[in-house]
Amino acid sequence: MEVKRILFRKELKLVTLLLTSMLIASASAAVYYSMVMQPDVTVSTPTIKFVQGDDWPGGSLPSDGTWVRMTLKAYPNATLTYDEPLNISNTDLSNAHTFRLRHLSISPASGSQSVSNFTFINFVIKDNTGATRALFYYNTTTDDWNLPGTTPYLSVNANTAWTLYVQTKAAAGATTSIEANIQIAVDVEE
Amino acid sequence: MAPTLLPEFFALLGIDLFLLLSLLTCLLDERFPRAIPYIFQVAALIGFGHILVSREFLAVFDEYMRFWYNFFYLVIALGNVVAVNVYFAAAQKMWTIAKAWAGIVTFPTIVISVFFVSNYGYIASVEFPMLLLQVGLVISAIVMGVSITFFLSPDLLHKLRRRKEVTQWK
Repeated sequence: MEVKRILFRKELKLVTLLLTSMLIASASAAVYYSMVMQPDVTVSTPTIKFVQGDDWPGGSLPSDGTWVRMTLKAYPNATLTYDEPLNISNTDLSNAHTFRLRHLSISPASGSQSVSNFTFINFVIKDNTGATRALFYYNTTTDDWNLPGTTPYLSVNANTAWTLYVQTKAAAGATTSIEANIQIAVDVEE
Repeated sequence: MAPTLLPEFFALLGIDLFLLLSLLTCLLDERFPRAIPYIFQVAALIGFGHILVSREFLAVFDEYMRFWYNFFYLVIALGNVVAVNVYFAAAQKMWTIAKAWAGIVTFPTIVISVFFVSNYGYIASVEFPMLLLQVGLVISAIVMGVSITFFLSPDLLHKLRRRKEVTQWK
């Protein structure tokens, strides 16, 4: 009887209800918070994209311009210049955006005898006034590549296109049909 | 970007209202049936389940649907707040408590709810009678202010205390 009286005391009821209330309120708030913190991912057009230049050498360039594959040539003991094979365009009409070039991979790898067939494959980034903004040079020393360092971030003004200028040269007496595949990442800061 | 108000916020608000009702009815337990605080706790638990289901089916239910079922839950919670107020005034004939309840519970909860609903209406462009909401917000705020000024004056507290003492002596 005494136990029953204690169990039905107002203070005990209130404390029990208060504890369960706190539990329910905090659990609900935690679930709501987890919903608020779920990221929203919206597909949108890229701000910095690749566009074919007047001197496009051939290759692949999808319509969204998020990646590009260029097929370049190199002549033995002669420098071949592509003045405007590719443009890097900032499609944002109101904001400047930055990007950089970063080396990913190259084949044949250093140490292969095929490397000595090339003298250099140079990429130069020029802004809309024609001024050089960054150099990205691949050249060889016997069977090894001298790889370029990552360029600093370069700011392209709103609604402006820059140009990628390329020069290639193969070694004198180089074997024809030898290919070099270079992968370069373009990091864009949104 | 600041996170926007999700429709589940209204269910969260409804849960808090049910928990508030549960605690207040427990404090005033001699005026209510014994099971009432627990029923409000169960209602709050149902609201918690409501939010859980909403989260699990976030990709299936569109925002319009989520808003309406969460809003419906909030309306039920507000309906219970008003019902307790009416219970005090009509069934128990306790006018002083009914007025105090209106001033410190009913109208503040209506002000808060209307504020968030109208805010959400602006953000999510829900088809609401916005003018009606704004008028409701202003009226509730005025009633709340008047309640704080008049009903919760030291005189009223003194009156309540004196009535309790008289009841004890009887």
